[in-house]
Amino acid sequence: MLFSSIPFLYYFLPCVVILYLLAPKPAKNSVLLLASLVFYAWGEKKLVVLMIAAILLSYIFGLLIEKYKDRKNLSRLFLILSVVTSLAMLFYYKYTDFFIYNFNAITGLSVPLLKIALPIGISFYTFQCLSYTVDVYRGDVPAQKNFIALATYVALFPQLIAGPIVRYSDVALQLNERTHSFEKVSYGIRRFVIGLSKKILIADALGELCDIFKSSGDKSVLFFWLYAIAFTLHIYFDFSGYSDMAIGLGKMFGFDFLENFNYPYISKSATEFWRRWHMSLGSWFRDYIYIPLGGNRVSKLGHIRNIFIVWFATGFWHGAAWNFIIWGLYFGVILVVEKFWLMKYLKKSKVWSHIYLLFTVVISFVIFNAADMAEAFRYIGGMFGIGGYSLVSAESVYYLRSYGFLFILGFIGSTPLLKNLTAKIREKSLTAEKILNVAEPIVMVVLLVVVTAFPVYGSFSPFLYFRF
Amino acid sequence: MSTKVKNIVQVALCALLIFGLSLTCWFKPAETFSQSENKVLAQFPELTLESLANGQFMSGFESYTQDQFPLRDEFIGIKNFTSLNVLQQMDTNDIYLEDGYLAALVYPLSEKSLDRVSDHFAHLYKNIFSKGEGNVYLSVIPDKGYFLAEKNGYLSIDYQKMIDLLKEKNPDFKYIDITGLLSIDDYYFTDTHWRQDKIVDVAQKLASEMGVELSGDFKTNVLDKKFDGVYLRQLNLPLKGDTITYLTADHFDGCTVTRYNYDSKTNKIVPTVMGMYDDKKAESYDPYEMFLSGAQELITIDNPNATTDKELVIFRDSFGSSISPLLTEAYSRITIVDLRYIKSTSVAPICKMLGIELENADALFLYSTLILNNASFI
Repeated sequence: MLFSSIPFLYYFLPCVVILYLLAPKPAKNSVLLLASLVFYAWGEKKLVVLMIAAILLSYIFGLLIEKYKDRKNLSRLFLILSVVTSLAMLFYYKYTDFFIYNFNAITGLSVPLLKIALPIGISFYTFQCLSYTVDVYRGDVPAQKNFIALATYVALFPQLIAGPIVRYSDVALQLNERTHSFEKVSYGIRRFVIGLSKKILIADALGELCDIFKSSGDKSVLFFWLYAIAFTLHIYFDFSGYSDMAIGLGKMFGFDFLENFNYPYISKSATEFWRRWHMSLGSWFRDYIYIPLGGNRVSKLGHIRNIFIVWFATGFWHGAAWNFIIWGLYFGVILVVEKFWLMKYLKKSKVWSHIYLLFTVVISFVIFNAADMAEAFRYIGGMFGIGGYSLVSAESVYYLRSYGFLFILGFIGSTPLLKNLTAKIREKSLTAEKILNVAEPIVMVVLLVVVTAFPVYGSFSPFLYFRF
Repeated sequence: MSTKVKNIVQVALCALLIFGLSLTCWFKPAETFSQSENKVLAQFPELTLESLANGQFMSGFESYTQDQFPLRDEFIGIKNFTSLNVLQQMDTNDIYLEDGYLAALVYPLSEKSLDRVSDHFAHLYKNIFSKGEGNVYLSVIPDKGYFLAEKNGYLSIDYQKMIDLLKEKNPDFKYIDITGLLSIDDYYFTDTHWRQDKIVDVAQKLASEMGVELSGDFKTNVLDKKFDGVYLRQLNLPLKGDTITYLTADHFDGCTVTRYNYDSKTNKIVPTVMGMYDDKKAESYDPYEMFLSGAQELITIDNPNATTDKELVIFRDSFGSSISPLLTEAYSRITIVDLRYIKSTSVAPICKMLGIELENADALFLYSTLILNNASFI
């Protein structure tokens, strides 16, 4: 079920809110769990069992790890079993056909593909399960004795299918004790409506432009650039919009999820970009792969090796295809170059470093969104006039005019300009703050009406990160 | 307003909106048909274990909730208004607003579609008209984009190329160029079609090229009903609709207009005598259908007082509904065929069965660029 769909907004969500409000405190997690299972089963039907199995295994291994924490070998064995079963599940559903396909390509054999459907959100909930058992093993958190509480943590519908990857340690206390207030609900509604607007008004519209480009028979250099920039904005507004909605919904039910994006496109290096983009994934890889491998506290070669392992894994996590692996390694190379050489030059000019970052990111997302590497090369070549394309075409000019304002909205929305401006206005005058306080609920209602109109019209599209 | 009050007001307003619409969703009786979109609306899907297991219930429910959403037409209007006026997009779902006219993007040029159309035309020529003594004519009606698109920066096909291709693909047809007689003023603001009161010169040109003359004496009548054209009904924008002006002539009274419709119950084609203009359809949501009762597979108009004893067969789309009555003065019989509702291979056998002679009549293939470029219907 999509957050931007009518069934979610006007059937599922109101029912869950009412049941949640009516439920006594001890039953609130059960209501959320039941709702989350319905939410998941709506899209995945029988595969809900797979998620429950993953949660059950984490629950059992968590208890066993804690029970035998004094017997390190046994405790480690249960951790290994937990990691292996979780990853086996992920590998089977996500990567089996990729390996068969490449095995066939290398050996010339024709082992039939299994054509396994990818369960929605498996990459997200597997990582949450893994973080839980690892944290228990490390002694960072006690094992959760209440299965419903653990299941609620993993399956919680706001963040279940597209993140952010919530760490158990961040919400462990809130699973048992959390506060609800008008302030939190109001903030939650604001984040949810803003996220929904980002998704529907900007991301979906720019996604449409990407589709138009792909099916166009009138490509030109300008059109390649429009596509690349449109996708760069699309993926940001799609994914950060989803994270806003997740954080907003979490707030409505009393949870405080950590931020997942912090205006990544204002970065001045790829290193900074990855501290601002999909922060929950970046920190997951840092804490569970990079640092355990030794991080930067090893030899220079070992450090480079660790960086490449993490970025190979980051790319592969996004999808079982070579373009994702290349995309991850592309950032690996750039980060190594920045770390050992480029960073000192980037620090000299804010403007050039920003142009460099945007160029790097735009190219990366062309690779990311390509059907295969041949398409990625073709598109990147097209951006630089390779392939005999004309500089401009009738279609590119038309769509530049048609989507020009959306691009401007996208550029502005990618920066903290509006946020800083409202904060400054609030600081400067009490009257201005009062006016903003009057305006905000009105703007929220207007946005809610407008974003309802789009799915009613039937032009909504699935969230991009569902496929991961 | 203090921040504390703002939080309460925000929660209250948003909750009111969501729960209000939600309750309406749950309890609003389902409608069956949307006149504005001319489509059957999705109903609550069947709830069975099988439909749950295979996902049919879920997809059916999503369609149901979209189609049955309260104030659906108003929300559609908000969506299109937002796309055009807030997000400043050039078009919304391939329809744009320029100089007060709503028009559809016709792009790109589909040669495949022209091939398909021409194959049907060739079949009809070979099997019917090549055997007789009549002449065969082809004329293309430009859509509104012909006048609006290119000069205002919208995507546009090369109309001349389309006409040249059609001429090339239909070498046995004599082409009649009517584009010079038309301008954007000859079309409705909110609908695809041309205005009957503005196309008398077009009818005269067609007649003249086909060897007959029209006096052009018509009485002007104004329909006392607002006409929201098809584009306005689709977008539901806050625009003023159109007015339909229709033409009548003295000889109309002597004409017999017969439509032939297939009756699936009796498996027969049933003739029905009707008027040149349909009063009932003039009152419907799409009053343009008043012209020859709108979409009909086969119509004959017999005029015993015609100025010649010539007969004409018109292969047409909906633009033909409003121009055909204007040609009746000169023809003892006009047979009107809509290939969207009758297969080109069935035209000859059906007309033969009904006793409608085609071979020795002149034939006019009169189609709009909208249909020619998107001929999947035929």
